[in-house]
Amino acid sequence: MTEFDTRFEDTGERRRTSDAPLSIHDLLDGETVQSIAQEAWSALVGDDEFLVPLPGGLPDDALSSWVEIVGPWTGTVVLTCGRSTAEALSRALLKEHAPPVLEVEDIEDALGELANVVGGNVKAVLPGPSVLGLPEVGSAPTAGSPADTCRVDLLWRGESLTISVQGAAGALTDPHENNQNEVPL
Amino acid sequence: MKILVADDSRVMRQIVIRTLRQAGYDDHDIVEAEDGADALSKVSSEKPDLVLSDWNMPNMTGIECLEALRSSGSAVPFGFVTSEGSPEMREKAANAGAMFLIAKPFNEDTFKEHLDEVLA
Repeated sequence: MTEFDTRFEDTGERRRTSDAPLSIHDLLDGETVQSIAQEAWSALVGDDEFLVPLPGGLPDDALSSWVEIVGPWTGTVVLTCGRSTAEALSRALLKEHAPPVLEVEDIEDALGELANVVGGNVKAVLPGPSVLGLPEVGSAPTAGSPADTCRVDLLWRGESLTISVQGAAGALTDPHENNQNEVPL
Repeated sequence: MKILVADDSRVMRQIVIRTLRQAGYDDHDIVEAEDGADALSKVSSEKPDLVLSDWNMPNMTGIECLEALRSSGSAVPFGFVTSEGSPEMREKAANAGAMFLIAKPFNEDTFKEHLDEVLA
């Protein structure tokens, strides 16, 4: 057998390798996540609204919104910011339709929709087929394993905001069952 | 003309309506629906000239709404405005009878590109 033949002999090694769980680090990087988020911000929040890649501290009252992706890579795209930042984002999205006093539902709706748009575009760069869940909002969910988490720390109008694309080992296979207020990890 | 905007997010409905205005479609009546089932009902009662619908909604998804409309014989022009725009979804949308799929985020130019044919 020639060296060439040996190299391409099917030992099963490649199949076992491809069957290994996909790590998010093999699929996208922080720059891609930031680029996706910036595109969403420019279109939805405003043309002159920029996300600056600088770490900052999240306040204790941080609020998160997330969407689940189920497919060859399964996990969650989580957007987290302080409540005052979430309120400012809601006003920016609603613009002239923002009421003087925002309802909690408006803030959760706005934050959930931003996670939905970012998550939908993250899903588009991941291998398919996969399914996107409905957005959920609640307390910041538990961080995923660093080995399967791509997190970007950003500043918007000087306020901290993080976007985490985090794997969920043992995640639900049916996204419609995922209606609880916690990210399944 | 009348446009039905279906999305479970009130914020996103406002953004879609605002983008319609920015794209120059500011003399059309707008009707809102909060999910696919509501949209299906309002196509019957409001008789819109165009439906702009999200895909992923509780109760009834956008694609289920479109399939129900076509099954009932409705030929109302229907387009998706959704956070996902994979080739598979575009194919599924086209096969079900959708005229276009606009992926979020979008701007007024994207709307003009797809809506001029229907609303001009």
